Amino acid sequence: MPADREKLLEIENITVRFGSGRKKVTAVRNVSFDIYKGETFGLVGESGSGKTTIGRAVMRINELEEGEIRYKGARISGKIPKEMDREVVKNIQMIFQDPTASLNDRAKVDYIVSEGLHNLKIYGSEEKRRKIVERALLDVGLLPEFADRFPHEFSGGQRQRIGIARVIVMEPELIVADEPISALDVSVRAQVLNLMRTLQREKGLTYLFIAHDLSVVRFFTDRLAVIYKGAIVELAPTEKLFANPLHPYTRALLSAIPQPDPEYERHKKVETYDPSLHHAADAPEWTEIEPEHFVRIDIFGPKSENA
Amino acid sequence: MDYRQTEIVLSARDVVIKFTLRGKTLTAIRGVSLDLYKGESLAIVGESGSGKSVFTKSFMGMLDANGWVDSGEILYEGKNIARYKTEKEWLEIRGKEIAMVFQDPMTSLNPLKTVGLQIRETVELHRKTANAALTVSALKASETKAIALEILRDVGITEPERRYNQYPHELSGGMRQRVVIAVAVACRPNVLICDEPTTALDVTIQAQILALLRRLQEKYRLTIVYITHDLGVVANVADRIAVMYAGDVVECGACDEIFYDPQHPYTWALLSSLPQLGVKGEPLFAIRGAPPSLYKEIRGDAFAPRNPYALLIDFEERPPWFEVSPTHKARTWLLDPRAPRVTPPPLIARIRERRERREAADDAR
Repeated sequence: MPADREKLLEIENITVRFGSGRKKVTAVRNVSFDIYKGETFGLVGESGSGKTTIGRAVMRINELEEGEIRYKGARISGKIPKEMDREVVKNIQMIFQDPTASLNDRAKVDYIVSEGLHNLKIYGSEEKRRKIVERALLDVGLLPEFADRFPHEFSGGQRQRIGIARVIVMEPELIVADEPISALDVSVRAQVLNLMRTLQREKGLTYLFIAHDLSVVRFFTDRLAVIYKGAIVELAPTEKLFANPLHPYTRALLSAIPQPDPEYERHKKVETYDPSLHHAADAPEWTEIEPEHFVRIDIFGPKSENA
Repeated sequence: MDYRQTEIVLSARDVVIKFTLRGKTLTAIRGVSLDLYKGESLAIVGESGSGKSVFTKSFMGMLDANGWVDSGEILYEGKNIARYKTEKEWLEIRGKEIAMVFQDPMTSLNPLKTVGLQIRETVELHRKTANAALTVSALKASETKAIALEILRDVGITEPERRYNQYPHELSGGMRQRVVIAVAVACRPNVLICDEPTTALDVTIQAQILALLRRLQEKYRLTIVYITHDLGVVANVADRIAVMYAGDVVECGACDEIFYDPQHPYTWALLSSLPQLGVKGEPLFAIRGAPPSLYKEIRGDAFAPRNPYALLIDFEERPPWFEVSPTHKARTWLLDPRAPRVTPPPLIARIRERRERREAADDAR
């Protein structure tokens, strides 16, 4: 990666486990990646692969068992000073998947959007707060008068816009978007993606975009990491990854994307990924196969890594 | 497939479906006519609220209590099932003749019963009546178990003996959906309605489930209706496609015709908003506005207010069907000989270009 780009977030060898004793499961295993300022970094994988856990670890909802997360060079995982904590809360925000579940049904939009401001008490006067909310609603394509309504009065697309307004009032630098459009209708998806893109350009945002829909990810992200059973198997600039997928799991995933092209679909062959093809001889290696394109060469790696 | 020669399994004629909600009446389906041919896969696509689920639920008498078929007929084997009122009448159709696979396998399976028991239930309930002429007594337990195991094997479940005694929560999402399919095909229905069968699944599993449905279709000569909003899935499975908008079918044609030669501006919009066709760095095509309220009477073409290609008449009069080919028709005034010539948006041409490029590459080889 070019050295002149600023690393906004560094994730180094993080491992997340849930449960205790013999029931302990490893959700994320030794994952490392960096996110550069202004880019959209994508995480794809199937359900249960650990992609959401990584997102939640960045939000400091899930504790790390090993490893470290650094924001602008300073560690934010584990115990950190209160001042730093406020800073991080303000600068790293999250957009959730289901806008029907993530908004408080008993609160008015006005409160929902400014809850973050209340928590950190960073809005100055009441008048100023109303201004901020108004601005945020306009920014996401809603009307300021919506502030006095309740979430149930809105459609799915509008609710997701409220979810985004909630985030941008904090003026964050990094937004973790966990499947932000999978609960939405086809035509509304495009609107929300376009909105996220516009906000990124206007406010210089950085996204960690978590999704399972590969066609959306291809369209939306700059760099992409493919995660399988808690470990990243391949990481590359999105176009390079799609042009030249190397890990057998990535290949299987990409070959399964449905295309709006009946003739192609009729003749396509879906590759299946069989973890048992991996050798049990050498340790897996994280290798840079071409510039910025990394793949875990565990074609000859131990079986236990994938079991 | 030559449709003029093929037997029609189910035929909907000018179906109007209404609901009452808080004292107001809304029209969910506004006079839809559609034929279903034996052994075909028909995909019904549209946004949520377009009425695709409601329409197909009326084939099985599964409309919510506040909804009813207001007029029109649904003919199945010569009987007008739209007139059916009692549960007893519907039991002859539901499950036995027309079965359904739902979107979320976790909610459509009973969490308190084992997989095997749930399949046996349907077998006992429906095959009993089928065998009534031969044996008066119900099937023996050992027989139903054997049938259930065979079905589990049929839908590609490994170790069926072990799975038979497991509960739904012990299975993965893909396995659960296979069980749902097993329950649906257990009584050998004629028609299978799949309501967003793969929406809750991962891409790799999705491909497997679609392949399974295709295999079962061939084996049992099933007629399958897919209800979905995912046009990628549709390209994979459908023989024919019906596009629905605001309670009406606006375009209907063979799969290739809809993808390579769509006619209705709504079909154009739906295809254009696919991220697969998006160009990086440019905004993705988005349909302006929102669908119309179904409480009000819709005048003209329901899509007109959101349609950049709308003609004046689109706001006045509902367009009739215009035939594009014997299998392809669309409800848009743009096809009227008096209408100005409109070229479809460039994104639509891109789908065709992709095919042409591929053909050229094949020829070169």
